[in-house]
Amino acid sequence: MRQGICFLTTFLIAAAGSLQAQQVVAPTPDAVGSARGENAGDYNITNSFETGYRWSLVGGDLGMYRSDVNYGNGLRLLGSSLTVESRDGHGRFFDEIVLNTTGLGNDPYQAATLRVRKNGLYEYDMTWRLDDFYNPGLDVSGGAHLMDTTRHLQDHDLTLFPQGHFQIDLGYSRNTQSGPALTTAQEFDTRSSAFPVFENVNRQWNEYRLGLRATFAGFTFIARHTWDFYRDNPSDAFNGLEAAGTQNDLGALTHFQSSQPAHGANPGWLGNLFTRRKLWAVNARMTYVAGHGDFALDQSATGTSRFGATANQQVSVSGNGQRPDLAGDFNVSLFPLDNLTIVNSTSVHNLRISGDNYYSEYDNGTGLAATFAFAFLGVRTIANNTDIQYRWRNWIGFFAGYDYSERRITETDASALPSIPGTAFSDSYAQESHLNEGRLGVRLRPAKPLTITLDGEVGRTSKPLDPISDANYHALNGRVQYRTRRLQTAGEYRQVYNLNAPLSLTYYSSHSRTYSGSASWSPRDWFSIDATYNKLHLDTASSLQFFAGILSPQLQTGYSSLYVSNIHAGNLGIRFALARRVDVYVGYSITKDVGDGRASAVPAGTTNAVQALLGGVQTFPLTYQSPLARLSVRISPKVRWNAGYQFYGYGEQFHLLGYDQNYNAHAGYTSLLWSF
Amino acid sequence: MASAQTGYVGSNVCKTCHADVWFNFYKNPHYRGIASGKEPPQRTGCESCHGPGQAHVEARGGKTTIPHAFSLMTPKQVLADCLTCHAANFDKANIRRSEHTLADIACTSCHSIHHSATAKYLLAKAQKELCYGCHNNIRAQFEMPSHHRVNEGFMNCTDCHNPHGSFAATWGMADRPRMAAQALNNEEPCLKCHVDKRGPFVFEHAPVRIDGCETCHNPHGSTNGRLLRRPVVFTLCLECHNGGGAGTRNQGVDIQSATHNLLDPKYQRCTTCHARIHGSNIDEYFLR
Repeated sequence: MRQGICFLTTFLIAAAGSLQAQQVVAPTPDAVGSARGENAGDYNITNSFETGYRWSLVGGDLGMYRSDVNYGNGLRLLGSSLTVESRDGHGRFFDEIVLNTTGLGNDPYQAATLRVRKNGLYEYDMTWRLDDFYNPGLDVSGGAHLMDTTRHLQDHDLTLFPQGHFQIDLGYSRNTQSGPALTTAQEFDTRSSAFPVFENVNRQWNEYRLGLRATFAGFTFIARHTWDFYRDNPSDAFNGLEAAGTQNDLGALTHFQSSQPAHGANPGWLGNLFTRRKLWAVNARMTYVAGHGDFALDQSATGTSRFGATANQQVSVSGNGQRPDLAGDFNVSLFPLDNLTIVNSTSVHNLRISGDNYYSEYDNGTGLAATFAFAFLGVRTIANNTDIQYRWRNWIGFFAGYDYSERRITETDASALPSIPGTAFSDSYAQESHLNEGRLGVRLRPAKPLTITLDGEVGRTSKPLDPISDANYHALNGRVQYRTRRLQTAGEYRQVYNLNAPLSLTYYSSHSRTYSGSASWSPRDWFSIDATYNKLHLDTASSLQFFAGILSPQLQTGYSSLYVSNIHAGNLGIRFALARRVDVYVGYSITKDVGDGRASAVPAGTTNAVQALLGGVQTFPLTYQSPLARLSVRISPKVRWNAGYQFYGYGEQFHLLGYDQNYNAHAGYTSLLWSF
Repeated sequence: MASAQTGYVGSNVCKTCHADVWFNFYKNPHYRGIASGKEPPQRTGCESCHGPGQAHVEARGGKTTIPHAFSLMTPKQVLADCLTCHAANFDKANIRRSEHTLADIACTSCHSIHHSATAKYLLAKAQKELCYGCHNNIRAQFEMPSHHRVNEGFMNCTDCHNPHGSFAATWGMADRPRMAAQALNNEEPCLKCHVDKRGPFVFEHAPVRIDGCETCHNPHGSTNGRLLRRPVVFTLCLECHNGGGAGTRNQGVDIQSATHNLLDPKYQRCTTCHARIHGSNIDEYFLR
């Protein structure tokens, strides 16, 4: 016994040094009550509720903790599960009810799912979710975490005659976000500092769906119409005195008011026809979404300009935009042989964004106003890809694929301030990109539990949109997997290498390598262990052009942006039961970015100010770890008592952002899991 | 109704030996075929999936005597059997071209028909555990400090992905659809929740609309705040805004303004002023 404990302790300590992972300590995954449920009339019922108290103690940056974790104190319905099943499939009003909840009461992440079904007549699915969203604030806030919004999501889907040849689908989804958020207002010209102001976020999105599905002669036809409405009514207000607080800027804000409503609608159609035969299958889709938006801005600000003059500015904008979006797909699958599958897919996508608006920016001091028109953006993409899968023998198979796509981007700039010399107020541009990509792989299965996959991919894109877009790239992937009932292990290596040199003076290269290993072992019903390890390596190099200088900004062209990330991520979980009454889970997770191994953010001896700035952000070493332990004791067949503890530790090494975000948090809970 | 002529014996015969499976089978969605009482033998109960059981009965058991013993079938055969009924579902219309199918991941790799761990969809494990089982590196991303709330139970992988395959992406170069479940029928799945980024905007930030959110964000998780690809924002911006690439005008992506001295801290925080970086109806530089 002592040897066993020593072994376990040694293993935990050893694993803690190299593994990582993260899961939440509650709710408890254990079950109570009879797995087969209780019969009540013609129905069978299973249910369980886990209620308890969750607590947390946070030291360090509370805002960062709330952004990453956000569990607080209080009573919770940590989780619940209810199933009601008709035993003969002929319930009067329903044959099945499935209800699951998690986090209700005041957890930052809450969810409930419900399914109600009557065989042959209807099927209803509902999902409700709440996310208490606390996010890192803007840089201007100095690290303060000042976006505290709540997002509610709900989806309802009702299917009538789900087993019939003719089916009707009705749906409704809603997404709302509200709460305070920190934003900025840049007054009184485009070169002045931005002032922090609070915004009341108020967004609402509703979608209604009506669909029909008909099946005849082996064909399935689906038609769906959606009505989608969106509104965003943010408002900002400030009265007081806010100085710019930056070098060479005398700007100050004494009054600010802004209202910026935007309303939109996206009515859309989807048509889908597909069939499957012995030797072939076809799937065709067409969608059209007629996006439309109306917007307005009413903004006023008074204060002092960056030169110290009294400033009084009003901005009003109104307009509308259209975004017709059309997509079509035609997929053909062929099965000429039992061991051969060929799939070809052709797709077309056309997006156009246009509209009109009237912009007038009025300066009370100068009486100047400006007018802007809508910028047009059009994207048309045609793509075709083919995949072939051939199983030569039961133990070996090959697969290959080829993609071709062509994208045309059209843009009309309508700028009052042309940013490119020689351009006019309104200029049109068009550019085409072509992608050719090929894949090849082999899959081996020398023994039933053992699978080995090796594959590679090569792609070439002409005229990639951005310097960091995929241009000249290849990927290599190898995976070995061994699976038996008690033991599953897997190892994988993947690398992706992208080179992009759009101009002779600019380049971009990105090289990622991922090493993964995992093992899951369940030698006994009362004991199991899971462990994973990943090494995620990324290094990129990108040429830069920017303006910088000690006295005045000069064009800098000789610098590069280098970024190196070396993340070790491990996860260990051990479950074991004692005397069939007590279940114990201990786990540990760690994410550790060791960067490129340097001792300080800026290498010693760096005297060039620009080099020091760029060198200081080339790596972001940090450690994020979370051990946890959970105990679940069976009090009676229908009641369990649970307790758990989890630690969260976050530490940045270099304080790269200029402020300290590190924190340590202790979180725990105790609960009763019961069934009746 | 059993038919001795075609070898169908009916589920009542199966339950004689397989009582453990039969006992709770009324909770299985596949019980509907039995409950309706109208389906032909080949679409009723055990034999609707496993085929006629007469030979199995006469042999007094044995896997090899089951016409469709799934543990002995190739992934392609498993898929063909399940599609007999499930082919009519819209969410499985692309299953022939899904990455899972092409990687020989059969239905039974994720679904457990008789020993399901979930009341819905007959999954062999809870969804995230199922996906993490193979996508180990994605699990690592969801365990980073900044991540979408999958581990917390707020989201599922299927909120953004359709594991049964998807149509070609309408962003990027239409390659690598990554089984993304498109929003509003044909948009990047991020817009399902982040509806304020949809626009249309008078001034679109072109890479957002054309190449997608992944230009700047790691969608699963990141060690950087806001799922960004870089810890500080100015490197993220300058790596594109360096005059390279095609841009939308064939003249490269605009470089930073000559008025912006990068050594001045206020110009290192690009999104402080360019606050509407995803698109603006008001300002071509995304200031409002």
